Amino acid sequence: MLKAENLTKSFGGERVLEDICIEVNPGKFTFLIGPSGAGKTTLLRCLALLEVPEKGTIQIDQHAHHFPAAKNSRIHPPWPELTVVFQQHFLWPHLTIRENILLPLKEKLSSGGTSFEELVTLFDMDRFVDRYPNEASLGERQRAALARALILNPRYILLDEITSSLDVEQVNHLFYHLLELRRRGIGILLITHQLDFARGLLKSGNGDEAVFLDRGRILEKGGADMLENPVSPRVRQFLGQLQYVP
Amino acid sequence: MTFFDILRNYRQGFASGLLVTTKLALLVWSIGIACGLLIGFLADKYRRLVGIPMVVFAFLLSGVPIIVLLFWAHFPLQVLLGVVIDPFITAVWVLALVNAFSVADAVRGVLRDFPEEYITAAKVCGLNHRTTLLRIKFPIVLRQLIPPLLNIQVTMLQATIFGSLISVEEIFRVAQGVNASVYQPVKIYSALALFFLVICLPLNGLALFLKSRFTRNLSDR
Repeated sequence: MLKAENLTKSFGGERVLEDICIEVNPGKFTFLIGPSGAGKTTLLRCLALLEVPEKGTIQIDQHAHHFPAAKNSRIHPPWPELTVVFQQHFLWPHLTIRENILLPLKEKLSSGGTSFEELVTLFDMDRFVDRYPNEASLGERQRAALARALILNPRYILLDEITSSLDVEQVNHLFYHLLELRRRGIGILLITHQLDFARGLLKSGNGDEAVFLDRGRILEKGGADMLENPVSPRVRQFLGQLQYVP
Repeated sequence: MTFFDILRNYRQGFASGLLVTTKLALLVWSIGIACGLLIGFLADKYRRLVGIPMVVFAFLLSGVPIIVLLFWAHFPLQVLLGVVIDPFITAVWVLALVNAFSVADAVRGVLRDFPEEYITAAKVCGLNHRTTLLRIKFPIVLRQLIPPLLNIQVTMLQATIFGSLISVEEIFRVAQGVNASVYQPVKIYSALALFFLVICLPLNGLALFLKSRFTRNLSDR
């Protein structure tokens, strides 16, 4: 289980996360919803131990990380069992997309997950797999970044608005694959504004959860009910506006 | 006297001038690049201790023309220190110093602008420190660095002719001497220009080629 308790983080004296408690369970989705600047990406980076929180605990399976960390304590790197796909992709620009996906595999003896060929077919990457990232479109880069993460067979995958550059067909394709990952027992944290997908899954009652973050605080969390009938006026206001977005 | 007559009659002088220029350029390049890379990396790693003094010194150096530095190192500095140094050695150290700080500044700039997100991506993909350095950071830095590095070296090669002003017997001084004897400035200085063109143009072309070939668009951030 990936679990954060009482997580607090500030940048330059400004509190960006306050007393956050969140869980990402194996084989479950956790949808992180909220307006821009709410602290979603910071929370994701803290959960991935890419940012050091001021206070709180992050538990990744059997490893608990307490903050502030004691002197001389060593952080057990959770990667790539826990991996992240960033909104901005961060594909290495001097390598082709094929090399980007395959390089991390060289560090592991076997992927044990989806094979390179499967991923190429799955994300329809035949046409651009030998191009450099700057020769590929935004959507193609996003698919490549996702393939790079998936080939490592992670136990937890944190996805930061990965559908933002994809068309409807690709989004559906991607969500279909995310469902397959969930079936395999991978815990998925998804920062998204695609509420239809979240709503559909939450309604099926498989233990998935949605969390609403605003100004560094969790205002509400829960299942389908939270999206249908939010208690917090702020959540209601935000979700109400999303319904009018074409 | 034709151009080829001049070359034939003064071939020994031209050859020795060419040799001195080549030796001077090779020493300035190797010392400057080695020291510049080291200072640049240290300036990035120890920003306060090395970085700030380096930037200040590079800034001061860039404000003084090379020719003034050469004269200053050849005359007043040696008088102040009470030593006499061979002009060739003086030229090597002054030009190598300018080269080193230009290279260091370029290295520091490339390292400072390196998008750390590529390292973060390597981390979450489980790459170890060594692979991240060798396969991600070093190749990207090198690709960004090579074009400005080549441009600096072309400038330094051209700057070797200032050595003639402190009596270094390099190609320009030899050409001046030959011209004083035969007074054929058009032919002699055209040949000299051609010599530098033949060496500098391919280097500049290589810099341009490498820039277009290897300096990938880093906007994927």
